[in-house]
Amino acid sequence: MRTTDVIGFCRRAVSGYPLRSGLILLAMAIGVASVVLLSTLGEGTRRYVANQFSSLGTHLLIVLPGRSETTGGPPPMMGQTPRDLTVQDAMALARSTAVRRVAPIVVGSAPVSVGSRQREITILGSTANLLPIRHLAMAYGRFIPAGEISRADAVCVLGYQARKELFGNRSPLGRFVRIGERRFRVIGTLSQKGQSLGVDTSDMAIIPVASATALFNTESLFRILVQARNRDAVSRAKRNVQEIIRDRHDGEDDVTVITQDALLATFDRILQTLTLAVAGMAAISLAVAGILIMNVMLVAISQRTAEIGLLKAVGATRGQVLTLFLVESTLLSLLGTVVGLVLSTAGVLVLQQMFPEFPLAVPWWSPVAATATAVSTGTLFGMLPARRAARLDPVTALAEK
Amino acid sequence: MIFNDALKWALQSLAGQRLRSFLTILGIAVGIAAVVLLTSLGEGVHRFVLGEFTQFGTDLIGITPGKTSTTGVSGAVISNIRPLSIDDAAALSRIPRIRDTVPVVQGNAAVESGPRSRRTYVFGVGAAAPKVWQMAVAQGRFLPEDHATGSRAFAVLGSRVSRELFGGANPLGRRIRIGGERYRTIGVMAAKGQMLGFDLDDAVYIPASRALAMFNRESLMEIDVLFAAGSNADKISARIKSVLVSRHGSEDFTIVTQTQMLDVLGSVLGVLTLAVGAIGGISLLVGGVGITTIMTIAVRQRRAEIGLLRALGTRRRWIMGLFAIEATLLGGIGGLVGVILGTGGAWVLETLVPKLPTHTPMAYVVLAEVLAAVIGLLSGILPARQAARLDPIEALRAE
Repeated sequence: MRTTDVIGFCRRAVSGYPLRSGLILLAMAIGVASVVLLSTLGEGTRRYVANQFSSLGTHLLIVLPGRSETTGGPPPMMGQTPRDLTVQDAMALARSTAVRRVAPIVVGSAPVSVGSRQREITILGSTANLLPIRHLAMAYGRFIPAGEISRADAVCVLGYQARKELFGNRSPLGRFVRIGERRFRVIGTLSQKGQSLGVDTSDMAIIPVASATALFNTESLFRILVQARNRDAVSRAKRNVQEIIRDRHDGEDDVTVITQDALLATFDRILQTLTLAVAGMAAISLAVAGILIMNVMLVAISQRTAEIGLLKAVGATRGQVLTLFLVESTLLSLLGTVVGLVLSTAGVLVLQQMFPEFPLAVPWWSPVAATATAVSTGTLFGMLPARRAARLDPVTALAEK
Repeated sequence: MIFNDALKWALQSLAGQRLRSFLTILGIAVGIAAVVLLTSLGEGVHRFVLGEFTQFGTDLIGITPGKTSTTGVSGAVISNIRPLSIDDAAALSRIPRIRDTVPVVQGNAAVESGPRSRRTYVFGVGAAAPKVWQMAVAQGRFLPEDHATGSRAFAVLGSRVSRELFGGANPLGRRIRIGGERYRTIGVMAAKGQMLGFDLDDAVYIPASRALAMFNRESLMEIDVLFAAGSNADKISARIKSVLVSRHGSEDFTIVTQTQMLDVLGSVLGVLTLAVGAIGGISLLVGGVGITTIMTIAVRQRRAEIGLLRALGTRRRWIMGLFAIEATLLGGIGGLVGVILGTGGAWVLETLVPKLPTHTPMAYVVLAEVLAAVIGLLSGILPARQAARLDPIEALRAE
C-alpha cells in the first residue's frame, strides 16, 4: 500500500462524514486557537511591561535610602533613615567613571493654586538631568535649567494633566503658580506620556531640587536615579555607588541599589511563568478534543467493520490497518490545528485592531507547542481505536453485514 | 409518554453504548474538573490574601496625609507641607466609638546590640498598636502610654530581630542602639510571620515621637484608627473628617476604611478567579462539541427507532425532548464526575502542597454541575432537532 493510497483512503473517510469531521475539527481548532491566543496575550503583557520599563530610562540604577537584611523581601520603598541621603551624596556619585548622569529626587505633595483654582498634586524636586534619564518629553517651553544645584530657583514644569486642570486651554508659560506658600514661574509643560508603572507622570509639577528641599523642609532625598554609561558599566556603576555612599556615610551600608535590569528580569520571569501556566490551562481542552477523536474513531470502526473485514480479506496486514486508522486520526487533528491556527491569527489581528497600543506578539513556541500537542494527542487517542480495528477477525467482520 | 419513561429511555440508550457514553462523559468531566480545580485555586488565593489583610482586624480606618482620590502611595506620605501630627491622632481618639488610634512612622535603621548589628524596619507607633493591629506581646510589655512630648527611649523587638541580636538570651532590659540612639528593650513581640513577602517579625517598635525625631520628620505617615465593633464605618470616617478639617482648616488627608480596601482587593481577585475559571471553561466548550458530535452520530444510527416512534404517533417535540434529555444526562453525569475529580484534585493538591491554598465553595460546585447540564442541553439541541425533523417513512426505510 502506497502512502498516496493511505492518504487518499483517509481523506475519503474524513470527507465522507462532513458534519462529524467538521465538529471534530471545530473541537481541535478551539483548543489550538485558545492556546495560541492566550499565550499571545501573555507575551503581549510581558512586552508591554518591558516597554514600560525601558520607557523609564536606559541603563538605570535606583538608589533608595535604607537597607533591609531580610533577603528576598521587598526593598524599603518609603524608607526614612536616621542618616539622610542628601543632594551632596547624589553629586558625589557623578565622580564614578561608570556613571553618566545623576538625578536626585525629592517627592512630596502640596496644594498648587492658580487664582482660585487649587489642586493637590505630587511635587517632584530634581535637576535638569531628569529629562534625559527618565526620557521625558517637553510639550512647550523648557525644562529646569542646568546650573548650580544648590540654587533654589522659583521655576516649575507642569505635567500634562496638572496643566489642563490648572490652566485649561490657556498657555501657562511665564505665569505664576503658588505651590504651598511659595510662588513659582511656569517655564515649561511636559507632553502627554500618561502612566508608567502606576506612577502618573502627568499629574505632577517638577521644581529644582533645592526648592523642593526648602518647600518640604527636608534634607533627605527619596531616590537617586543614576544612569550608567552603557550596559556593561551597570554592574560597575552599582559597585561604585555603594562604595561612594559607604565612604560618605562613615563606612555604613545604608542604601539599597536596584538595577533596572534586575527589576525587569524579575517581572519577566513572573510573566513568562504566568504565560506558560495560562497556555497549559488552555491545553487541557486539547486533551478533551483528543478524547472526542478517540470516541468518534471507535464509532467509525464499529460502523465500518465490514470495510475493515474486506481490507483484511484481500490481504491487508494488521500493521497496514493500524496505520490507516492512525493516519486518519492524525489527519483529523492536523486539520483541526490548521483551522485553529487560522482562527487564532484572525483573533490576533482583531485584537490588534481593537488595542493598537498593546504590543501583541505570538511567541514562537506557542504555535509549535500547540501543533505538537494537538497532533500527538490525536495520534495517542487514535491508538486504541486503531488497535481495535487491526485486531478484527476478517471472517467475523465480514459476517457482520 | 410520561417524563419517567423518557428518562428511562434516555438512560437505556446511554447504557446501550457504554464505551461511547463513558468517553463523552469523560470529556465533559475533564472540562468541569478543570473549571472546579482552577476556581478552587483562585478562590483559595482570594481567601488567603484577604486573610493576610484582615489579620490586622476589619474595624480599621487608615488616615494618610495628602488628598488623593486614587488608592496608591501618594507623594504626601513621603513629604508634605501640611503634616499629620501625633496631636491629630490624640484628638481622634476622643471621638466616641473610636477605641484607639495609632500614629505610624516607618523607616529603616541599623539596630545594634554590642558587636551585633542588623538593618531592619523601624516603626514609630503608639501604645495601642498591639490592640489595633491585633498583635501579641510574647515577653515583657509593649510601649507605655507616655505623653508625646516626653516619650521614654523604650523599644520593643520583633521576634526575628530579637533572635538575630540576642540569640537565645533574654533581651528584656538590655540596652540597644537604634540609628545611633540608645534605647532600652522592654518587650518582644510574638512571631507573626510573613505578610505577602514582607516579614512582620523583622521590625522594631519605638515611640512615634522619637521616630519622628530620628528621621527628622514633621509628619506621620499614617494614623490607624480602631473603632468599636459593629459601628458604621462611614459614619465614623465622616466624624474623623470633620475633626481633622476643623484642626487643619481644609481636607488635606485621605481616609480609607478597611472595608473599602478589602472591597477593591476582593473585586480584583474575584475577576482573577473568574478569568481562570473561564480559561478552564474552554475545555468545557470542547466537551460540549463532543456531546454534539456523539449525539449526531446516535441520531443517525437510531433512525429506524425514531421512525418507529414517529409511526406510532409520537409528536416531533417529544422526539426532540427525548434526545435533549439524553444530552442533558450526558452533561449532568459528566459534571458530577468532574466535580468529584475537581474537588478531589483540589484536596490532593492542598495535602501535597500545603502552601498552596485551595477552597471549593459549595456554590461553585452547584454552579459547575448546572453549567455542565446546560452545556449538555445546548449541545443536544442540534442533534435533537435533526431527530425531530426526520420523516417517519424515510426513517423506517433506513434499516
